[in-house]
Amino acid sequence: MLEAYLPVLVHFLVVLALGLIILGLSAWVGVKRPSPEKLAPYECGMPPVGDARERFSISFYLVGMLFILFDVEVAFLFPWAVVYKSLKWPGFLEMFLYIAILLAGYLYIWKKGALDWSR
Amino acid sequence: MIAPLFYIFAGLAIVAALSVVLQRTPVYSALSLILVLCSLAVIYLLLGAQFLAVIQVIVYAGAIMVLFVFVIMLLNARQESPTDHSLFARRLGLPLLAVFLAEVIFVVVGHFSGTVFAAGATFDGGPGAVGGLLFRNYVLPFEVTSILILVAVMGAVVLAKKQL
Amino acid sequence: MVPVSHVLALSVILFGLGAAGFIVRRNIITIFMCIELMLNAVNLAFIAFSRYLGDPDGQIFVFFVIVVAAAEAAMGLAIIIAVQRNRQTLSIDDLDSMKL
Repeated sequence: MLEAYLPVLVHFLVVLALGLIILGLSAWVGVKRPSPEKLAPYECGMPPVGDARERFSISFYLVGMLFILFDVEVAFLFPWAVVYKSLKWPGFLEMFLYIAILLAGYLYIWKKGALDWSR
Repeated sequence: MIAPLFYIFAGLAIVAALSVVLQRTPVYSALSLILVLCSLAVIYLLLGAQFLAVIQVIVYAGAIMVLFVFVIMLLNARQESPTDHSLFARRLGLPLLAVFLAEVIFVVVGHFSGTVFAAGATFDGGPGAVGGLLFRNYVLPFEVTSILILVAVMGAVVLAKKQL
Repeated sequence: MVPVSHVLALSVILFGLGAAGFIVRRNIITIFMCIELMLNAVNLAFIAFSRYLGDPDGQIFVFFVIVVAAAEAAMGLAIIIAVQRNRQTLSIDDLDSMKL
């Protein structure tokens, strides 16, 4: 069974090696002659103001939460889709009820204005 | 189960978990926790739980930890300051924890030393097998889960939107 | 072949690290992450026993634990946001009064 996942391991190792090679080569081969202009965050444009670790809008949190809602739904959909044919109508009704309940949550968030980015 | 892979990822998980506990900046803790979750996913795969390994990456490392990182950035959580009181943790917490762990390890080693996992996987662990069990034997927990998530979402919106 | 005790030992070590972090950390978000670490340690024990006993129910249980953890994370982080709004602090040392 595990042999089927060998490509994933190979892919993982290739990605790791690629990242290390790119970073290593550019550090080893690249020429480093820093000057104040080169070390500035932007060579042209406005100088940056304030700290990069600024506070984010709460909308990001609400969208992230909505993402969890649908992520869990999809997590249940995968095994359901595989066994759907053998479950027949009861399986369809189970999933229909499940999605209907989660849809209520989605409508609630929508009506509450959590998806309204401008507010 | 391939032993070298297990030991590599078990070591990785322990090192990353140490980093979760020892880092003073929450963002570093969160990133280390993602590493723990991904190495655990590999170990799940080695134990024959293929579907759960994928779900671990999709739901845990993908969705839950993203929410954690969002909140850390939202609240701008910096380096924590050392405690000035709560001597309970320093004086009693860690010794009690050490006693607890020694006890559990004693039981685990005493009962399971020498037993190995059966060679072939006794249960497939793929999405089909999990789905068959889930949608036949565990229909009610499955439906209750949707209500739980619904309540969690509504509660989170109410709490987060109250003083917007 | 890996002995069962090694997998369980990994689970115990992760749980212990999570519990230690729960005790020594002062930041409420880090404490929450340590709880997630403990949850995952228990999940690992469930899967190990599921494989050892040949009983698939353990895997279903882990699936539900992951789903409940998703709900718990959404809820807990919302509470943390509310606490931060009202008290302007994330350190649990400062959260020692039940009412402002």
